[in-house]
Amino acid sequence: MMIFLQNCIDGFMIGGFYALFALGFTLMFGVMKWTNLAYGSCIMLGVFSGIWMHLHFQLDLFWIFFVIILITVIAGYYVERLCYRWLPKKAFMAMMVSSFAIWMQLDEIVRIYFPSRSYPFPRLMDNDLMMIGPLMFKAEGLLILVICGLLAGTIFLFLYKTRYGLAMRAVSEDPVASRYVGINMPSILLGTSIIASVIGGIAGFLMATSDAQVSTEFGLWVTYKSLIAMTLAGLGSIRGAVLGGIILGVIEANSLWYLGAEYRDLVSFMLFFIVLVILPGGLLGTAKEQKARAAVRRG
Amino acid sequence: MDSYMLSVLSNIGMISFLALSAYLLLLVGKVSFGQQAYFAISAYVSAMATTLWGCPLWLALFFGAISAGISATLVSIPTLRLKGFYFSVATLAFAEMIRLGLVIFKYQVEIDGELVGPEGSIGFRGIRYIYDHNFSSVEYLCLIYGCLLVVIGLMIFWEHSRIGSIIRMTGADELLTEMQGINVKLVKVLTAGFAGTIAGLGGGLYAHYLTYVGPEMFGAMLGVHAVSYGLIGGLGTTFGPLLGTLLDFVFLKSAVFSEYRMIIFGGIVAVLLIFKPRGLLDEALLYKIRQKLRKPSWK
Repeated sequence: MMIFLQNCIDGFMIGGFYALFALGFTLMFGVMKWTNLAYGSCIMLGVFSGIWMHLHFQLDLFWIFFVIILITVIAGYYVERLCYRWLPKKAFMAMMVSSFAIWMQLDEIVRIYFPSRSYPFPRLMDNDLMMIGPLMFKAEGLLILVICGLLAGTIFLFLYKTRYGLAMRAVSEDPVASRYVGINMPSILLGTSIIASVIGGIAGFLMATSDAQVSTEFGLWVTYKSLIAMTLAGLGSIRGAVLGGIILGVIEANSLWYLGAEYRDLVSFMLFFIVLVILPGGLLGTAKEQKARAAVRRG
Repeated sequence: MDSYMLSVLSNIGMISFLALSAYLLLLVGKVSFGQQAYFAISAYVSAMATTLWGCPLWLALFFGAISAGISATLVSIPTLRLKGFYFSVATLAFAEMIRLGLVIFKYQVEIDGELVGPEGSIGFRGIRYIYDHNFSSVEYLCLIYGCLLVVIGLMIFWEHSRIGSIIRMTGADELLTEMQGINVKLVKVLTAGFAGTIAGLGGGLYAHYLTYVGPEMFGAMLGVHAVSYGLIGGLGTTFGPLLGTLLDFVFLKSAVFSEYRMIIFGGIVAVLLIFKPRGLLDEALLYKIRQKLRKPSWK
């Protein structure tokens, strides 16, 4: 039982990252109706330019943080222009495939400048272990979890308490109607992609510093996990993304412990497939999802 | 022809099967990221047929294609109910399940004092059929393109028949198609089954060509590439995905842009999709060409 609890805690830690990545993805999916496959690569480009600055100019973590966010936002802007804004409005397939092409492009840029498999990243702080009763916590992990929670909370408040957030929710609900009431669509769409990039950049920074290394597969990994976390609990809802990320983390940690490394991803994909087939609306279910949607509309 | 050209041509031929199979699903309006699963299933089944059960090649290819077709049909029954994005993710999840399942899958039999068969993550080695039976690489190339021609012929025949119209109609508007008294579900399931069979045929050829297959070959990248070939080349005709495959390989193999080719190719694809969201050879262009061919020029 204690082992199970410990696994759940570890799962929570990693799930926090999944939730953050999924949050950015969900914003783009919900508001812009865009499956941005290049999301992970944008973040990877940001993280690697941070590493590059660190290697060449010995910047400390504080500045690396800003470099990462800046580059992620620029890359996100580039992808938004090329794969979303300039495409015809109804071409959903083309949007997905063109973001895939840019994914390849960004990955290749990283691979040319960083030929090794993985690169070290400075740590936020020393890796102390804390024991609370028989359970083990990483101090750093806890801190990161708190940051993740704060960030998710901020997004939540932003969406539900500000005028801009209200406009974003309106666009996500009905783009045509929101144009009629005078919402500046281009600004909302661009704003959404920038917010998603900022969240992604912060999450990427935290992920890199907690792992103390980054591999060049990072982009693929981020896109994958955020795709699953987003869909697992129900599309397009913030709550769903957070819940999905944490569920995914907990499942992975437990299957890693009980079944072994080969089964970790297999189990999470299997569960994911079964959830999709049985409950096509995700874990939050269709009825509940509808209710959540209604709440979004009024809130 | 030198051996390098032969290998490039063989690869183009085999990947074309996958592109055609993804293209068929694009026609019914579904984006599948999981066609590589059927490619993998058939590669393993047909390789097992020749090495372990001593079947001739044609029977092995048949077994492979049929098993891929059956599994595609079975998978499509629950997944095709899902709407757009959910379907894409479900197929991706299934393909990853197959890939990760192959990592665990071990089935080795001793033949002539040697262990042969799939060996987990190491892969399936020693598929020596074409060497044992003295196929030259030119002969095998002819076999690949022979099979491809049959498939293309069948698809072109369909395109000009009622079946093709039904498939395109389903992709354009399901509700309207259903109102014409057409069983949309059946059309979609059969299309998916046939798409799986095509991918399977390619997979069988692939396994015997390479003499080695491993789970890492069938990652999500392969599936996403297959989808983008269709969208780059165009959704108007069967030649669209073939053109897409050809373009990709020409870029990949040509030394003109050396290491920056993926960067340039990604950019070109993204820009192309801005102007032609349904690919180079899209329906509008095809319509114009057909009009030109049909109409006598008035003087």
